[in-house]
Amino acid sequence: MIRALKLGLMLVLLLSLATGCWNLREPDELSFIMAAGLDYNEEGKLEVTSQIAVPAALSGSPEGSGGNKKSFIVVSGTGKNVMDAGQSLQAQLPRTLFYAHRQTILLGERLVRNGVGSLTDMFIRNPKSEMRSSILVVKGGTAKDLLNIEPLFDPYISTMLVREQSAVGLKPYYYRQFLSDALSQTIQPLLPAVEVIPNNRYRYVGSAILNKDDNLKLAGYLNAKESSYANWIIGRQTAVTITAHVRPGKEEVSLSAKALSKKLQFKMQDPPRITVTLTGLGIMTENNSSLNPSKTSDLKHIEQALSQETQKEVQAMVNKVQKQYKADVFGFGEYIHRDHPMHWKSLKSKWSTVFPSLRITIKVDLKCKDPGQTNSSIDSML
Amino acid sequence: MSIWLEEGVNKLVKLTRIQLFWIVATIEIVMAVWLRISPAIAQAKQDAWLSIFIGGLMGLVITFFVVHLSMLHPNESLAEFSQKLLGRWLGRLAIWPYLTAWFILAGDVLRTFADFVHLILLDSTPVWVIMLMMLALMIYMTLVGGISGIARFCEIAGPVTIAALIVSFLLNLGNIEWHYMKPFYADSGWQAIVKASYPSASFFGESLMLLVIVSYLEKPKKAMATSLLSVAVTILFVIAASVMCLLVFGPNVSAKLRFPYFMLVRTIDIFNFIQNLDIFVIFIWVFGVFAKLSFYLFLTCSEMARSTRIKDWRKLVWFSAPMIFVIAAIIPNEDSIELLQKLWRLIVIPVCAIGVPLILWIVTLVKKEPRHA
Repeated sequence: MIRALKLGLMLVLLLSLATGCWNLREPDELSFIMAAGLDYNEEGKLEVTSQIAVPAALSGSPEGSGGNKKSFIVVSGTGKNVMDAGQSLQAQLPRTLFYAHRQTILLGERLVRNGVGSLTDMFIRNPKSEMRSSILVVKGGTAKDLLNIEPLFDPYISTMLVREQSAVGLKPYYYRQFLSDALSQTIQPLLPAVEVIPNNRYRYVGSAILNKDDNLKLAGYLNAKESSYANWIIGRQTAVTITAHVRPGKEEVSLSAKALSKKLQFKMQDPPRITVTLTGLGIMTENNSSLNPSKTSDLKHIEQALSQETQKEVQAMVNKVQKQYKADVFGFGEYIHRDHPMHWKSLKSKWSTVFPSLRITIKVDLKCKDPGQTNSSIDSML
Repeated sequence: MSIWLEEGVNKLVKLTRIQLFWIVATIEIVMAVWLRISPAIAQAKQDAWLSIFIGGLMGLVITFFVVHLSMLHPNESLAEFSQKLLGRWLGRLAIWPYLTAWFILAGDVLRTFADFVHLILLDSTPVWVIMLMMLALMIYMTLVGGISGIARFCEIAGPVTIAALIVSFLLNLGNIEWHYMKPFYADSGWQAIVKASYPSASFFGESLMLLVIVSYLEKPKKAMATSLLSVAVTILFVIAASVMCLLVFGPNVSAKLRFPYFMLVRTIDIFNFIQNLDIFVIFIWVFGVFAKLSFYLFLTCSEMARSTRIKDWRKLVWFSAPMIFVIAAIIPNEDSIELLQKLWRLIVIPVCAIGVPLILWIVTLVKKEPRHA
């Protein structure tokens, strides 16, 4: 009897402790951050913008009473660092900020020009932060403007931005990868970039190169096509559509290449020689030429023309990155580091001067797996 | 024959081999995966797995040695055979470093656990409340269950912990980038690898508690294979966890994370649907921490009782438990936890896992001689 009483008392005591009353937090007392944006405003102060979900607008059918309510609100605050700005952000909200659902981190152009370096700490240190967020740069604008865009299909722009990357054939670039690139010995981070366009819309415009030897300052942009080639070399591109002249005149063929892969060969001379072989396999999706892809000789000609034209474009992009931006976004240094670690020891310290002088040869080998649903061009049959 | 067995105190307490296996595996795995990965990666970079492996071999040697010593004295724990070999007073003295080490270890674990829960989950709950809750559970477990209760709990918590590890590895397969493991050896060099292996060895050297536990075994003769297998499994999973952290985050990021394994679990994101699993893993983790703390509470009480010939070790729980709490509470900060770990590897392992057992072993051999003569 006494034993049971003691046990009961103990249980009650434990129960009262185990509820974790100190940490009681109901979902309706939280404001869920879906996306965060970092900017410098006109006065050069750090401005943090958060897109916060309005759950009430999501529930029920769109025709219902909550139908014309916006699914999010955008609030911003300025401060000395991210958390300080977060304080002034919190001051505008009756619910505690909750970071665990943040899908996207956006960096405004002015901020990127000034360097991102010191701002990355909070995203990893704060135990409530999230490393699964993807990270993007807003070209020529502010993250705030982008977050204010009315999303098209999804309730939140952050979901859209992640899906946009897959839609253009890119593997989403996550914060942990960004961090890993930034902390690596020589890789310069290549972040996807979007820009705000009129009519409250946005557009994917390629990628931004950050120079981590200089506080992660913006080194330059690559356009959409260039970044798809750069990401092909890096291994983050899953699909790309290539259009090339196959004969004089307006004779063009398009290939939707998938199964992209790359091979790198190094010759450890001074400076090292690198041969990059890009291969892709795809389906012909448009043919405005007089060639008939069902004939072996014509198909070969088309494949050669596609490969050559791509080779030229990739080479031009590599030259631009190498000579103009001088930033090793491809991680060539890391490859040498991995495969020729002893040689790397002498290269490591002077890599920033070695990289622009590397002799890089690009080879492209595109294969047309399937000529599509017709043989020669419809145009030539008319 | 042990005095205490004759008096019937421990007659009912017998552990099976499977229980021994899970006790060792559970309490070692919990700490090593939690705290050992990022220091090893910070020192040996992508070769951390190798240094953990070398550390593991050292741990196995320690395990072999202490189990061998215990098996020379069947059914007697450290407190008993040290007195038998060294005489009453010297034998009692020999127990002191062990008790000190176990108290410090338990206090350290309790505090680290509470700090961790405070950081990740209950940030507005005072740390001492978290510690007190754990302490109440420990006392309950030890008083009511004793070693067999703890062992039975380990039989559940151990497999669950290992299952959680495996599931977390599998769900992370999509995040793997193989190149993070390269280059092998060139970045760190053997000096860094060996240097990083000793701290890992000191974690696996925790198996010095087998000096006591082997005496509870049903069939003491089979202790060796079980103990070695148990430590080996622990090493395997610690290596697997560190390799997974390396493959997902790379050496640079993993070295910067304080709890890379939990970050690994947080990284899981399958179809944007299976995510935020860290809460489950922490939940399972608490099982292991609970098992470990209860075990050390029992260990300190029972060894003190045997050493001082107090009949009822349970009374000593009311001394040990507050002691552990006080040690945990007076740790001022992270820095001193690091200091305690240093103490563990610079003093506890050389003294408790090597020095004292070596003396006892030599005395055992010397005392055996006359019988043959």
